[in-house]
Amino acid sequence: MASKFGLAGGIPERRVRPIWDAIDSRQFKNALKLSTALLSKNPHSPYALALKALILERMGKNEEALGVCLNAKEILCNNDPNIFVDDLTLSTLQIVFQRLDHLDMATSCYEYACAKYPNNLELMMGLFNCYVREYSFVKQQQIAIKMYKIAGEERFLLWAVCSIQLQVCCANGGEKLFLLAEGLLKKHIASHSLHEPEALGVYISLLEQQSKFGDALELLSGKLGSLMMIEVDKLRLQGSLLARAGDYAAAADVFQRVLALCPDDWECFLQYLGCLLEDDSILTKGTDAIHPLNSPECKNLHISEELFDSRMSNAVNFVRKLLLDADKDSVRCPYLAHLEIERRKLLFGKGDADRVVEDLMQYFVRAIVDLGFSYADWFGHLACFTSDVENFLQVLDNNKKSEFLKKSREECEASMVAPSKALGRSITVFKIQSLIGDMFAQPQEDLEDLAVRMTEMFCKNLPLSKDLDAQESMFGEELLSMACNVLVQLFWRTRDLGYLLESVMILEFGLSTRRITSDGWRWEEHVLHMKLDCLSLAALTRGFAVIDIAIACNEATLIAARKESVIITIIILRKLLLVFLRRSTGYVSQYKILLLHLYSYWSCLPLAYERYKSLDVKNILLETVSHHILPQMLASPMWADLNDLLRDYLKFMDDHFRESADLTFLAYRHRNYSKVVEFVQFKERLQRSSQYLMAKIETPILQLKQNSNNIDEEESILGNLKCGTHFIDLSNEIRSKSLTFNEDFKLRPWWTPTYDKNYLLGPFEGVSYCPRENLHNQIKDTEANVLKSIEKRSLLPRMIYLSIYSASSSSVKENIEANGSLVDPKLSVELKVLLERYAKILEYPFQDAVELVFGISSGQQSFEAPSLDTIDWMNFAVFLNAWNLNSHEIKFLDRGTSISTTWSLVNSLLKKYVLEKITSAGPILSSPGSDLPFLVQLITEPLAWHSLMIQSCVRSLLPSGKKKKKGGFVDQSNTQLIYEIQNSIQSLCDTIEVVTKWLKEQIRKPDDEKFEAIFSPIQWNKSGRGPGKVFKMLESCISLMKDVELGDRISEALKSWNAADVARKVISGQGSLLSEFLKICELKMKSLKALGVQLS
Amino acid sequence: MTTIRRFCCNDLLRFASVNLDHLTETFNMSFYMTYLARWPDYFHAAEAPGNQIMGYIMGKVEGQGESWHGHVTAVTVAPEYRRQQLAKKLMNLLEEISDKIDKAYFVDLFVRASNIPAIKMYEKLGYVVYRRVLRYYSGEEDGLDMRKALSRDMEKKSIIPLKRPVTPDELEYD
Repeated sequence: MASKFGLAGGIPERRVRPIWDAIDSRQFKNALKLSTALLSKNPHSPYALALKALILERMGKNEEALGVCLNAKEILCNNDPNIFVDDLTLSTLQIVFQRLDHLDMATSCYEYACAKYPNNLELMMGLFNCYVREYSFVKQQQIAIKMYKIAGEERFLLWAVCSIQLQVCCANGGEKLFLLAEGLLKKHIASHSLHEPEALGVYISLLEQQSKFGDALELLSGKLGSLMMIEVDKLRLQGSLLARAGDYAAAADVFQRVLALCPDDWECFLQYLGCLLEDDSILTKGTDAIHPLNSPECKNLHISEELFDSRMSNAVNFVRKLLLDADKDSVRCPYLAHLEIERRKLLFGKGDADRVVEDLMQYFVRAIVDLGFSYADWFGHLACFTSDVENFLQVLDNNKKSEFLKKSREECEASMVAPSKALGRSITVFKIQSLIGDMFAQPQEDLEDLAVRMTEMFCKNLPLSKDLDAQESMFGEELLSMACNVLVQLFWRTRDLGYLLESVMILEFGLSTRRITSDGWRWEEHVLHMKLDCLSLAALTRGFAVIDIAIACNEATLIAARKESVIITIIILRKLLLVFLRRSTGYVSQYKILLLHLYSYWSCLPLAYERYKSLDVKNILLETVSHHILPQMLASPMWADLNDLLRDYLKFMDDHFRESADLTFLAYRHRNYSKVVEFVQFKERLQRSSQYLMAKIETPILQLKQNSNNIDEEESILGNLKCGTHFIDLSNEIRSKSLTFNEDFKLRPWWTPTYDKNYLLGPFEGVSYCPRENLHNQIKDTEANVLKSIEKRSLLPRMIYLSIYSASSSSVKENIEANGSLVDPKLSVELKVLLERYAKILEYPFQDAVELVFGISSGQQSFEAPSLDTIDWMNFAVFLNAWNLNSHEIKFLDRGTSISTTWSLVNSLLKKYVLEKITSAGPILSSPGSDLPFLVQLITEPLAWHSLMIQSCVRSLLPSGKKKKKGGFVDQSNTQLIYEIQNSIQSLCDTIEVVTKWLKEQIRKPDDEKFEAIFSPIQWNKSGRGPGKVFKMLESCISLMKDVELGDRISEALKSWNAADVARKVISGQGSLLSEFLKICELKMKSLKALGVQLS
Repeated sequence: MTTIRRFCCNDLLRFASVNLDHLTETFNMSFYMTYLARWPDYFHAAEAPGNQIMGYIMGKVEGQGESWHGHVTAVTVAPEYRRQQLAKKLMNLLEEISDKIDKAYFVDLFVRASNIPAIKMYEKLGYVVYRRVLRYYSGEEDGLDMRKALSRDMEKKSIIPLKRPVTPDELEYD
């Protein structure tokens, strides 16, 4: 508006331009200088102020920026006719207000401007945008209607309609609002018709939401229907509307037409079949679209047997016709359609399992003969064959499943096809074997042979990949993952570490075959392009390993000291190094995920984390993939890495929440209305993500853990957390939120749909695999547990705060009474209420919970709780003690035990569990799945919180925080308390000592000895039984392979492979984890001892 | 066996198996959502019977006059579903939308000069190397700008290769 006349916010543009240029080039100091000069000439210009605020905000001076913004706002809104108000000024202010989290201020500026200049569409759009950012759907609707009335444009009407849809879908708007939206559209169409395809889409969705399917169909077949330009999309919509209207016959016809146009559209085929069977379950997609249920199960059909027969026969005929027309190379749907029909028949009780097996075989290897096809190879070699047919296999009984396995195996051995396809088929047979659970019944030796065969097959087929680019998938890669799974299974059965080592080994071997050597990559090309004349670069062109490049970097640094221009060289060299490191970790994410879990399980979390990092998980993958590592990290001593993980994840999510509304507005502006509701719902979905809420609460808990040796630091953290009250709100609300679970569980190895069940963790429900029949219930149980856990963990910061307070006030009784203000009974009551809640989440009434912890610590009771619950109970005991220090409500009668106070309760509980775990723990190397995470949690949570209570007491006993008074403490009545504290310090130190002693023993053991313990058994196993066979197969294959067969890249990778390194890495990974934990224990002990000295 | 449909936000939560592949970049959210907000017809997902995402294509339409063209920003297929011509199907879909709905003159795409398998595949689909873009990928590697003419460019003027390579700042659109 103003800029057209060479004005920006009322100021000549030439004066403003240099400021923007400075901002764009991030020269903020210069920008500020220029802006100050501008302001001195235009002291009352809101635009000049807005610019200054923007610069200040970019410089991180948020408070100052806010002050300037508020000043601008005041001038802007003071009704001075001389003040220039335009969209540029408002939008600049808006940007700053938004970044300072004051959306409301920006909105009020726009509201003022719109009132001052009514009918200004530009300003009104700005205001609409403000409401979009604030998710104020009603206000959005109102302003959109105003714009529509002024301009009569279709887009503004649609903005209003979307705002109405949002009120119903994402707020509390009643469905009656749809009528209003429909009325608006009808009226507009009557006078102006519709011109945008998306507008038609919105109208139809509006009618669908009101179940007015007939009206929607009429609309679609009318004149407006021509707005949908892709015929097949129109037909799909028509079919679905007809079906939802109950006209299944017409719908089936329409879906037939779609299939004739798109014969590979599986979803459409299912809809077609659903219509024939008058089964509407296929038409109403589940609400949780990211974890959709499998195919329909033919339950609750309302049609008669005769009708079923005739409809199925129609379907068979139709599919045969599709088959005749199909293009053999790319269309698989009609072939599977046959299977689906047979599957439905079987489920309906009218099928023939032999027919299903026959159809499966046809899909695997043969054409359907009666149609005249005779292709030698069919779909059996495809990597997706097993997942294609999984649903059909599930309906067969075990005998039929085995029959199919047998037949496919025979077929595989008998027929001659190209080597890559033969390999593909063999892999498929292995996969079928695994899918039908056949491996669980096999004797140990057969399983060993199976793993050997898989490994051998991979190695022998390496020459097939000779000419592939290093970035391409190699032939038979899945074999190593499958062999790993077999070895893992052998490990469950026998607990023989050799199998575990072998499973890790073959995956590492797989990764190394995909590792690019410096020769294999185009270093030369890079260097040429850079045209650098640095001597060290010559080394690169010859192709060296990472270490050489690192040396080259150092050399370049030295040269740089003498020659300025070489700085560029260093930068480029470092870049190259990063690229090399990234690429040298190998490509196969599947191997990495398996390794990540195996390393975690074997207490090599640092290695697991390394593998996780090499997956390059970023952006939205943080939401779907971090579940592989996050739970382990939360119970680990790797605090710095955990901090990075949580920070990156939360930053990604929070950034998205901040920018999401702007993207929604983008959809409005580009008239893609269907995306508006989708974007808002997606943002809400992420906001309700269970993982996000978990990370939100675990982040402060981590901070509290890290600072638990310093009560002052701890209090300052708690201060920043509003003394934990914010999380109490979260805990209160959590049950009313419907959490979302966005993790991609299918990527979990030994896949189970839940976090807490992993095939690796041992037999589940009596067998080694998780039955798939009750998946739904398992998922529900897990989700309920996550909810409970968030609810429980959210109470911790507040309980810690209240406990510190309670501990401090208990020990200065006399002082409190003297000044009368320190004790706040409300806080003690609140702590009690929280303890009751905590107990309730653990499914105990408070009194029973108290009894239980006393019973357990005195050894009179025990509970069979999982380790994590045990930590919760210990936390309960710690906070109970803190509360009792002030309330003295728990009285000690003669219980005939050594537990006479809540202090001794905590002491003995902590000691008891540490001793229990340490006594039963073997060396960490030979105890995969050990209790190390439990010990870490015990020391870093309940014990740490308890040490905080002690610090709090000591601090109040010694108010100066330095030394006790001559001749005794503040008051003699504290003698008992001092005694308890000293006892507790001693007890905690003893407890930690047990752990440190154990850790030191583990760390001190020579690495060679550890190496011998795990590597020798597989290296020298001559008995022919047990682990070692796969290792030997690998070694002999590598030695027999010829360079010519393999090509330079693969043969060099094989030469660099060293099996013993794997064992060494496991040992060093465990060592660094233990050392990290030892450090934490030693610091804790040091801090406790210092407290003891203060008291003595 | 493949359901090809418009990509939606929830698919972002399901494409991990596709994106964990090292050649597939996982962009930031505003990148995906800008494409969804502006060119939803150019963003499609292919879904398998078990509802797994097999692959997807994202693109846009842009340019002025005879440079009005469809652009393939990313096309990717999960390892499990490769060697079944899925990328071809997705590309054909985008070409058809560019051709029939938006009446564009050509479709173009950028590919790493070292990604030989991909270049070969695009050539099979009828794309030709129009020009080389020096150090297009993070200043590390050259890109090839490949093009395929659509029906509106009857003389196929849009795909006559340029004789010299260009630098990224010479590109009209990015």
